[in-house]
Order: sequence, then structure tokens, then C-alpha cells
Amino acid sequence: MKTLRQYLKALLNAKKLLAYTFLLCFFLWVTTPFLMILLKSVGRNWFGKLWFPPELTLDWYTWAITVTNIPEVLRNTLVIAGIAVGISTLIAIPTGWALGRRRIPGKEAIMSTILLPRMIPPIAYALGVAQIFYRLHLIDTHIGVAIAHVAICAPYAILVLSSTFEGLDERVLEAASVCGANNLRTFFHITLPLVMPGILSSIIFTFTTSYNEFTLTLMTYGPKTITLPVRTYLAVGEGYWEVTSALSMILIIPSLFVLFMIQRQVQPEKLVGGFKGV
Amino acid sequence: MASFFKKHRYGLMSLLMLLPGFASFFGLFFYPMLVTVVRSFRPEGLTTGWTIQHYTSFLGQASARQVIGLTFFLAIACTVLSILLSVPLTLLLRQKLAGHRLFRLTILVPITVPGLVGALGLLLFYGSRGWLNLLLTQGLHVVDQPVKINYTLTGLVIFYVWHYFSYTAVTTLSTLEGLDPAFEEAARVAGASPWQVLRHIVIPLIMPGILAGSVLTFMAAFGAFSIPLITGGSYRPLAVQIYKQIEVFTPARWEAASAMAVVMALLQLVFLTFYMRVLRRPTAS
Repeated sequence: MKTLRQYLKALLNAKKLLAYTFLLCFFLWVTTPFLMILLKSVGRNWFGKLWFPPELTLDWYTWAITVTNIPEVLRNTLVIAGIAVGISTLIAIPTGWALGRRRIPGKEAIMSTILLPRMIPPIAYALGVAQIFYRLHLIDTHIGVAIAHVAICAPYAILVLSSTFEGLDERVLEAASVCGANNLRTFFHITLPLVMPGILSSIIFTFTTSYNEFTLTLMTYGPKTITLPVRTYLAVGEGYWEVTSALSMILIIPSLFVLFMIQRQVQPEKLVGGFKGV
Repeated sequence: MASFFKKHRYGLMSLLMLLPGFASFFGLFFYPMLVTVVRSFRPEGLTTGWTIQHYTSFLGQASARQVIGLTFFLAIACTVLSILLSVPLTLLLRQKLAGHRLFRLTILVPITVPGLVGALGLLLFYGSRGWLNLLLTQGLHVVDQPVKINYTLTGLVIFYVWHYFSYTAVTTLSTLEGLDPAFEEAARVAGASPWQVLRHIVIPLIMPGILAGSVLTFMAAFGAFSIPLITGGSYRPLAVQIYKQIEVFTPARWEAASAMAVVMALLQLVFLTFYMRVLRRPTAS
């Protein structure tokens, strides 16, 4: 009996060991590429069969900042992302409210229509956007690139916000009005604090979407509106792997921040777009 | 007039609130899509006249069928492998082993970081001087020469899975977590083995989640652009081919590119509809 129990225990441990091996392999498979970028960006003379770079240096970062003009590129990226987030949020608040809380015939159909840009490959409408923007002289302007980003960001924001507004409890609002609060007071003291986390997560997600957006930027950018992803792409073409790695390390910072935020409060389903119904 | 407004006040208000969403949809998606469609029927370099020459010349080429085949192959291979990875992974994560939070966060890494950075890291990791080849040649001595993975079809599939499995994994995990443990307990009490519980209870119940996630993975992989652009080498799926029409040729071949884009969008829509139909049937019965 005792040996049997020991045997079962060992089997259980073996199972656990197997599970951890699998999880660890998975973890390494996902993360080691970033470790290699990090090492590449601080290493010098890393050739041949060496596991680690023989010398450490910060030269590639200096290069990235001076040669590829990071301060301006970063400014472009942030300005464009800021405008895109602003426009998307302004679009998504009323539309999300209507879709989340009001009686609308054919709500499902409207929602699917609005989400259609996420179902069609972006390159297909990016071609059209580029042609329209050429005519309107919006190519190579911050506002132009930002508006192009809205095509992708707005459906996202509407999705997140409509589910936030939908989750708002009617009874809490009623209670406020029963207690004598007028509409304005209810809005500022009850509604706004309740939906703020949703609006924040929508802002975070649209910001990263715009910050990382590549396809639509590539079709609408110009010399004055080079963003970080485009700059990284150009650097890959130029073939300086070390400088490109340094650029990538800078490009990755907001993503890490978003990961941190997600881990703290936001549900990951929202990140993939919450296509529960598809 | 005034009474009309009064009577339909609620509906008009709703419409007004939906207006910004519609404006962005029509202005930034529908109209550009229309421009793309119209342009695809224009003779090269002209703004008037109609022709279907771009479709016939693109679809007539043997290379076009290869490109479409490659795009579908990559998307389907990526979807299948993502499911095969996600199911065991999420089943393990559900048991809440120590450190499961870290692994949960790991799932989200590929979709949070910019695709370009991921692609660069993968190229470094799988390169002939990357750690994988160092491990194979020096650590384990499995092979003498570095294995070529970058710019091969196998490599591209690996990169696709790395980038797009998250959609399947996250959706599967959230479905799995929402599953009522009572079902499994009932089956276990009734004498089912763990394998039987998994095969007959858990998998059918989470199937809708797996399906929804795999659709997302498929869509992302089918429309993938930045990944194959820098890691594809000579393998160019549709999105990259479209871009090459504009980037490589001077003057840019907008008409040909538009025709290819229309074909791509249609293929994706048709395949998605088909996919939902086929995969929904077993769960419905």
C-alpha cells in the first residue's frame, strides 16, 4: 500500500515535471528572441560561435539616436498616436454608448459592420486610403497618418467602450437620482468614475495599436512623418542589425508598459478584440 | 415637423450618437474600399474607362495561384498549429500551478509587442549564429552544420505561429475558465477516466472558444504583412505582393495592386464564411 502511494506520488510529480517542462519551453520560445535583441543591441564583435557578445557597449544606442534621428521619429510617433487616440475616443464614446445602452434595432448587424475593418486585410483598404489622401494632400502630415490609424483604432475603441457601458448597472444610476442627484451630478459623480477604467483601457489599447501600426503608416507616411515602426523597417533594409536592435528596444517600451497594465487590471480577452460571438 | 422630432426623439438621438462611428466606417473603410475596387477596373494609369484586364492577367498567371496557395497554406498551417499549442497550454494554465500568472502574461507578449520587433528577434534567434543553432551544433551536437530556418517555409510557419497563436490561446483560456467544473465532476463521479472527461466533456464544451480564437488567428495570418515582408525572403504571400506592386514598380502599379487587394479581401470573406459554417456544425448538433 505504501509503495503504491509512493509510486502514485512519483507519477504525480513526473506529471508536474512534464507540465513545467512544457510551460518553460513555451516561455523560452516566446521570450528568448527579445533577449537576443537586447544582447545584440549592447554587444560588440559578436560573431561566430559565441553564446554571448564579448564586449558590451552603448554605441548602438548613440548611433540609433543620432543617425536614425530618434528624437524626431519618436515625436512623430507620439503626436500621431495622440491624435489617433483622441479622435478614436471621441468617436467611440457616443457610438459605444448608443450600442451598449440604447434600444437600437439591428444592433448586432451594426456592431459587425463597424468591426468589418478588423476582418478585412488592412492592406486592401490602405490602398484606397493612400489614394484618397494623395488627392486631399494628407500624405506626409501628422494629422493624415493619424486619421489613417483611426480606421483601425476606432472599431477597437467602440468595441471596448460599448462593452464597458453595457456593464454599467442601471440600478446605481437610479439610486443616485432617487437620492436627489440631478443628471449632471449623476454623470460626474457616478457614471464617469464607473466608466473611467473602461475608457482608460480603451485609450491604452488604441494607443498601442496606433504606436505599433505599420501597414497603414507605410502607405501614408513621408519624410516628415516617419514613425518608429517604419524607421525600424527601413533600418532592417539598411542591414545594420545592431542599430536596428537598439531601435527595437526603444520601440518596445510602451508595449511593456501595456503588459504591466494588463497584468494589473484589464482582461486579456479585450486585447484580442473580444470576438466572442464570431 | 416638430411633432415628428418629438415622436422620434429617442430614435433620432440614437442615430446621432451612432453617427461618428458610421462616419469613420464609411470615410475610412467603405469609401477607401470602394476606391480600391473602382481603381482595380481602370486601365493602367488612366482615371476613366473600364477593364477587367488586371484580374485576368493576375489570375491567369501560374504565379498568382502559387501566391494564393502560399497565403492559404501559411494561414491554415498557422491556425492548426496554434490550436495544437493552445489547447494543452491552456489546460495546464487552468490548473493554476505555481507561477501560472507569468505564463499567462507570456501568452500576451506576441500581440502586445510590435510585429517588426518580434520578427527581428526571431530572425536573430533562429539565424545561423542564433541560440537555437548554437544549441543544436554545440550544446547538443545533434547536427554539424547550422540548420537553415530563416527565409524558409518552415521558418515562416514558425514565425507566424509565434505571432498569431495568442488570439487562439487567450480566447480558449477565457472559455476554459468560464467552464462550470460541475460538468467534469459529474463525469468523473460517473466513472469517466481523465482522458474521457477531456475528450467527451471539456473539448466539446470549449470548442466554440477554440473556434472563435482560431478565426482570429486565421484572419491575422491571412492578412499578415509586416512579418512576411521582412522574414519571408522569396516567399511572398498576397499582402506583400500587393505592396511590391507599388514599391518596386515606377510608376506604381496601383490598378494591379488594387485588383489583387480585391481578390484578397474576397478570398478572406468567402473562406471565413465557409469556415464558420463547417466548424459550427458539430457544436450545434
